Amino acid sequence: MSASVSASASSNFPSDARSGPLRRLSQLRAYTQNHFSSQSSSSSSSTSNTNSQQPIARRHTFSSRVSWFSPASSASTGTESAHPPVGTNNPAPCPDSEPSSSTLARYSSVLFPGYRGFDLDLRSQNRSSESSTSPPSSHEPRRTQTQGRMARLRGLSQTPDTRPEVDTTPASAPTNLQNGLLDCPDPVTNENSSSSPRPKQKATIRFFPHQDSHGNSRPSLPFIPISRTLPSESSVIKVGRYSERDGLPVANPTEPSDAPVGFKSKVVSRKHCEFLYLNGQWHIKDVGSSSGTFLNHMRLSQPNMASRLYTVKDGDIVQLGIDFRGGEEMIFRCVRIRIECNRSWQQQPNEFKYGPHTESLIKNLGKGETADYSGCRECSICLGSVLRPYQCLFMAACAHVWHYKCVSRLIHTPDYPMFQCPNCRAYTDLSAEVDDSNDYEEVEQKPTSTEEQRDSSQDRRSETRTPQLETNPTPEASNSSQDSVDALPNSLSAAAGLTHDVGTMHLNENRTSRESDDETPRVANPSPVVTGSIGIPVPTASALQCRQAQLRADTPVRSESSDDNPLTPRNDSGPLVFDGRASMS
Amino acid sequence: MGSKRIAKELAELTESPPEGITVELANESDIYQWKVYMDGPEGSPYHNGRFLVKLSLPTEYPFKPPSVSFGTKIYHPNVTNDDKGSMCLGMLRADEWKPSSKIAAVLEFARQLLVEPMPDDAVEGRIAEQYKNDRARYDEIAREWTRKYAMA
Repeated sequence: MSASVSASASSNFPSDARSGPLRRLSQLRAYTQNHFSSQSSSSSSSTSNTNSQQPIARRHTFSSRVSWFSPASSASTGTESAHPPVGTNNPAPCPDSEPSSSTLARYSSVLFPGYRGFDLDLRSQNRSSESSTSPPSSHEPRRTQTQGRMARLRGLSQTPDTRPEVDTTPASAPTNLQNGLLDCPDPVTNENSSSSPRPKQKATIRFFPHQDSHGNSRPSLPFIPISRTLPSESSVIKVGRYSERDGLPVANPTEPSDAPVGFKSKVVSRKHCEFLYLNGQWHIKDVGSSSGTFLNHMRLSQPNMASRLYTVKDGDIVQLGIDFRGGEEMIFRCVRIRIECNRSWQQQPNEFKYGPHTESLIKNLGKGETADYSGCRECSICLGSVLRPYQCLFMAACAHVWHYKCVSRLIHTPDYPMFQCPNCRAYTDLSAEVDDSNDYEEVEQKPTSTEEQRDSSQDRRSETRTPQLETNPTPEASNSSQDSVDALPNSLSAAAGLTHDVGTMHLNENRTSRESDDETPRVANPSPVVTGSIGIPVPTASALQCRQAQLRADTPVRSESSDDNPLTPRNDSGPLVFDGRASMS
Repeated sequence: MGSKRIAKELAELTESPPEGITVELANESDIYQWKVYMDGPEGSPYHNGRFLVKLSLPTEYPFKPPSVSFGTKIYHPNVTNDDKGSMCLGMLRADEWKPSSKIAAVLEFARQLLVEPMPDDAVEGRIAEQYKNDRARYDEIAREWTRKYAMA
C-alpha cells in the first residue's frame, strides 16, 4: 500500500502521452474512477456503443477522488488460481459475449498479471453496462453492472502502481484502452462462464446462533445473525476471532460480500475456518484452528491442522471451539452456528415476488383460494382471516402473513432480530437491509412489463451516476469519442428524467453508501482477503480505500441507507479510511 | 386472543370432528381443559376401546403447546403407565411446537400413535422393547388392557 493517488475525476484528462501499459493503466484508472463516481454508470441508453464511450463518460463523472494502493494484490492472483472451482484467469476472447461476466468474481479472479487483463475487464463491464442501457435487455445488465462496479473498484485498488500514471495519462487513454486494448482477447472468459449463472443464483449463506436444545450443554456465544452473499464463486468467507483492529463487523451487507466473520470468543482462533462455495454446494474447512471446528458434532481436524473440505447443508450445526473454563465467561464460550444455505429464496430471490409471490400474495390477501395462498388467508395464530378491519399485518420473508397483534410476541423475543416463522419455521433476519437488487431481477423477469418498471430501472441507473454525467446532452452519440461518452450518461439520465433532480443525486449517494457497506467488511479485514489463498485477490485495502475515498466524496446521503440498521454500522469504514489516507500521504 | 382461538377450534372440532374423536369441555366454564374421547383405531389392539384423553391448554396457547394425557389406562410405549397417563408427542415438545398447529392435528396425531407406536420415542421403555421384540405379546396385553379399562 505504498502510494495512493487521488485524482479529481472530472478535472483531469490530459492526453495520454504514454503508450503501452502505462497508458492502459491510466485509462483503467480513469475508467475505474468514473465507475466509482458514477457507480452504476452502466446505464447509457445507446446500445451499440463502443466501450470507449462509456469510460469517458465515467471519467467525467468521476468527481470523487480515488486513492490507490498497489499492494500485494497481485500476489493474490496466484493463490486464486489454486482454487479449482473458481473461474480464474482464463483468457476470454470476448468480454462482450457475456455482460454478466462483469461480476465481481471476474474482476477478482482476473488479476493483473498485466494491466491488459484489467482493461479487458473494464471493457466487458462497459459493454455490459451498455447492453443494459438498451431498453429490451436492460434488466440483466443492470445487475451485472452493479456487480461490475464493485469489481471495478476492486480492480482499481488492485492495479498496483497505476496511480501516478493515472494522473498523467488522462483522457485520451481511455478511448485507446477501450478500443484497442479491450478488444484484445482477455483473461475474462472463465470468469464469464462462472459469473453468468450467478445473477440467477447467488451463493448465500446465513449464520444463526444455535443453542443446543438438549439441556445439558451450556449456552453458546450469542451473536447477531450473519448473512453473506458471495460476490464471486471464488470468494471465501473466513471465520475467526473478532479483532478490534478489523473494525466493526458487518453482519449483513446488502450486496455481495465475502467479508470475514468474526466472533468475540477466545476459543475461536484468529483463522479458524472458512466457508466456500464449490459446484453449487457450500463447504467448510478448518484452517488450522487450535480448538477445533465441529460440523454436527464431528471435529473436522486435529488441533492446528487444516481439514479437508466438508460439505455443509442447510440446518447443519457448526461449532467453533470448545467452552473454556466452563464457558462461564462469555469470552470463553464456544460458538454454535446454525447454517442456513441453499434455500430456495436465496437461489431465486424473486421467488416470492413472482411465484406465489409477494405481489400476487398481496393481491390475494385474505382470499386464499389456492393452496399457494393459504398462508396469507388466515392468521395461523388466531385462525381468523387476515383481512380484518383495522388490523395491521405482518408478512414474513417466507410470505406467511399474520395479524401483527397476533404474531408480535413472536417478533419481539430475546432472539430479535431473528424471527422464526411459526408456520414454516423459516428464519428471517428482521434487521436485514432492504435488498434493492431484487428490483433488478424483477426487471429481468418481467422485461417487457411496464413502463414504470423501466423508468424505475432507469432511475436507478441514473441514481448511480454522478451528477456530472448529466452535463452533456447528446445521448446517442455513441462510439469512440469522449463526447459520446458524455452523451451517454446524459441520455440515461434524461430517460430517467431525474437528471437534474437532486433526488437522483440522493439516490446515487444511497447507492454508494450501500456499496460502501458491502465493501466495508473488506476494509475491516483487508489482510485476510489479500493473503487468503482462495480469497478474492482483488479487494484489498487499496480497493477499500478507493471506495472510501469515493464515499467521502459522496458522503452526504450515504448514511441514510445504513442508519436504520444497527447491524451495519456505517462507521466501519472509518478507521480504515484514515489508514488509507495515511498511506496516501 | 388465545381463548378466542380455542373457542374457534372447539367449535370446529365439535361441528366436524375427526374420525373416532369426540371433544367436549371438561367443565363448561373452563375452556382450557378438554375432554376428548378417542376410539381405538381399527387394526390396533386398542380397537373397540374408548379412551378418555385429557387435553390441557396453557394460557399461552397457541404459543405454548397443549399437553395430552390419557385418563384411561392404556398399554402403550408412548403413554406413561401411571395415574397421569402422560403422552409424549414429538410435536408437543416445546422446541417442536408451532403455533400454527391446531388441536385437531394434535388429536389426530395422538390417534395415529395408537396405530403406530413410536418405540424409539417411548416413555415406557419396557413396553417399547416388547413392542419391538415381541409384538404378539404386546398386542395381547394391549388388547387385554383395552378390554379391561377402555370398554367399560
